[in-house]
Amino acid sequence: MFIARSEYDRGINTFSPEGRLFQVEYSLEAIKLGSTAIGVATGYGVVIGVEKRVTSPLLEASSVEKIVEIDRHLGCAMSGLQADARSMIEHARVEAQNHRFHYGEPLRVESTTQAICDLALRFGEGADGEESIMSRPFGVALLIAGCDEDGPQLYHAEPSGTFYRYDAKAIGSGSEGAQAELQNEYHSSLTLPEAESLVLKTLKQVMEEKLDSKNVQLASVTKEKGFRIYSDDEMQEVVSRLN
Amino acid sequence: MASSYMLPYAQQAPPSYAHPTEASQPRQHHWSPYTENGGVILGIAGKDYVILAGDTRSSEGYNINTRTARKVFSVGSGLILGVVGMSADGEELARKVTRKIDDYKRNHDKHITVSAAAVMLSRILYQKRFFPYYCQPLLGGLDENGVGAIYTYDYVGSFEREQSRAFGSAAALITPFLDNQINLKNQFVPGSNGEQPKQAGDLPRATVEKIVKDAFTSAVERQIEVGDGLQLVTITRAPPRTEEEADDDDWTGAAISVELSPLKKD
Amino acid sequence: MNQFPHGWGRPRDDVYGAYDASYLNSTEPVTHTQRPIVTGTSVLGVKFKDGVIIAADNIASYGSLARYDNVERLLQVGTHTVIGAGGDISDMQYLHLLLDNLLIREQYPADDHHLYAPQVHTYLSRVLYQRRNKFDPLWNSILTAGADPKTSEPFLSYVDLRGTTFSAPALATGFGAHLAVPILRRYVPDDAAAEALTQEDAEKLVEECMKVLWYRDARSGVTYSWAVIKKDGVETGNKKIENQSWKFAEMIKGYGAQNI
Repeated sequence: MFIARSEYDRGINTFSPEGRLFQVEYSLEAIKLGSTAIGVATGYGVVIGVEKRVTSPLLEASSVEKIVEIDRHLGCAMSGLQADARSMIEHARVEAQNHRFHYGEPLRVESTTQAICDLALRFGEGADGEESIMSRPFGVALLIAGCDEDGPQLYHAEPSGTFYRYDAKAIGSGSEGAQAELQNEYHSSLTLPEAESLVLKTLKQVMEEKLDSKNVQLASVTKEKGFRIYSDDEMQEVVSRLN
Repeated sequence: MASSYMLPYAQQAPPSYAHPTEASQPRQHHWSPYTENGGVILGIAGKDYVILAGDTRSSEGYNINTRTARKVFSVGSGLILGVVGMSADGEELARKVTRKIDDYKRNHDKHITVSAAAVMLSRILYQKRFFPYYCQPLLGGLDENGVGAIYTYDYVGSFEREQSRAFGSAAALITPFLDNQINLKNQFVPGSNGEQPKQAGDLPRATVEKIVKDAFTSAVERQIEVGDGLQLVTITRAPPRTEEEADDDDWTGAAISVELSPLKKD
Repeated sequence: MNQFPHGWGRPRDDVYGAYDASYLNSTEPVTHTQRPIVTGTSVLGVKFKDGVIIAADNIASYGSLARYDNVERLLQVGTHTVIGAGGDISDMQYLHLLLDNLLIREQYPADDHHLYAPQVHTYLSRVLYQRRNKFDPLWNSILTAGADPKTSEPFLSYVDLRGTTFSAPALATGFGAHLAVPILRRYVPDDAAAEALTQEDAEKLVEECMKVLWYRDARSGVTYSWAVIKKDGVETGNKKIENQSWKFAEMIKGYGAQNI
């Protein structure tokens, strides 16, 4: 099957006769190899969590950075090729600061997501007037959490450039199982601590290692405190609550 | 160079026999890209309304270009912009602001707030720091709480939210009048023997409208560049949304009305 | 013998000296128009009941010299627009070129988009304003006159070398702004007056103003072109100023060879 496809694998902006862009589809596969990341939006704020995949006892767990800040009111969890996420997040940060500069107000969550997705299809030869910046599609998916005047929101952005808003979303290797679990457990009146527990509980189910406070990371975005990565103490508290 | 009579003869420049039309040195004609079209604008913010008014005379030197020029523009999303100075620059600025407010609406799926538009306008002006728009803008709108807001600017983007402001060729005439009538400067509580200053408060719209018209009729008497007509633009809170308007993306919560009235034409 | 082919057939350096290539990399700054050279004077325009009339004389001056006396300063643009330009003639001709090209570019017979006077005026104002922003102005003041083919609504607007635009029921450029506008405004002070003005009266009014300009503006000419634009199109013609009376000039003292 793969041999039959190869003809349309070469030009990365070339449609196959069935109307598919294989390189983009493969990039979606790359995400399925990534570590699991989960986001849950509540009325009080958004919680995002990732598994850290500490593959060696010699690895410094705190150096694994899969949740990052975009702006005071915007955070982001990633799954897939982390290096690709760097340039997307850099772009988002610049857009967010630019918006503050030009309008004196924070950038909206949807506009941030849109700004990131604007990058997604700028691979290959580049269209008229628009400079191409990448030779291939991104290999990473993002969960973008934020708070604006419409309240806490969670968005999922894919390498294809499409994005959707979710109440709860899982991406990465364990996403299928995790998404099913989220679907069962999510309800619209979740509190923030409940969302923290839901994220960890779901991660726990799909992780290969045993979950502890070192191999997962949580962050939240709330109206009051903005984006915050949980400290070691807070992680311990949430993990202990789980058991 | 020192005057030639102070120099010994040998050092004096030889007399020029060149034909007077021959360009011995390049003749410097200075062309200015700027002009001044006169007129005055006046903005006053109330607790639930904004009034922005301008005269409709456009002049250049002693010529009256037209008696029907508008200086106050609706720039979209329930906001208005008054411009005075060089009309070509002012109109260009109004077009640019209008377009950027429209862009904002498309990009962020909401109407821009007057405070965000105020920062935006400041950036637009500063972008031309070294070839400034030769006009003084007043931006008017209702803020997030429905309270009237007037933002005032200098040519290169310094800005400030103010209660009232006059810009243009009669600004010096109108400003002290506003100080006295809007901010009640030098007014004292009757019977207090000039001890207790009157406190400025919220003025009803009808009163402010009268003050605006008086300001203009007075300015017309003393400033030749002001006259012909008065364009008075008012923003008030729109009535609560009807059911049909519930999904109307153009609904801003602001109602803009324009009134034209005559001023002296001499 | 010179073994290098690039030197063959060229003046020998030992005879003529090295080639002076300095002119190739001139250090002169880029220069822009600093003043108009060959100029036209006033253009007049008046709205009337169901159209608009525009007129400009045929003189092109070189300083105070009446250099050309057969210059057409009115240009029909499309079906319902005429523009008239004062100021630099070469800049005017360049604008004519731009408009001709614009008209060709925008000519799509079936799309029901037409370049009428408002469109032409806006285009000109953008061009002139952009050039002033480059400190390289097109040295003109231009009237755009037209009528809407459906409503017969007259259109008359002004734009100049700084991109300043305005509109009024009666307009004049150059000296006309001083000499003709006061007369025109006496008859058409506002839009209501223009709506009451007949074509015949408008033509007479323009004739009278052109005569005043001929008397008083030393750069004006005795023949002029006019155009009337109405719902059904453009009508043009040429006129010579008749029934001249220079009697008023006998009163003027202080110039010329007279004894005071």
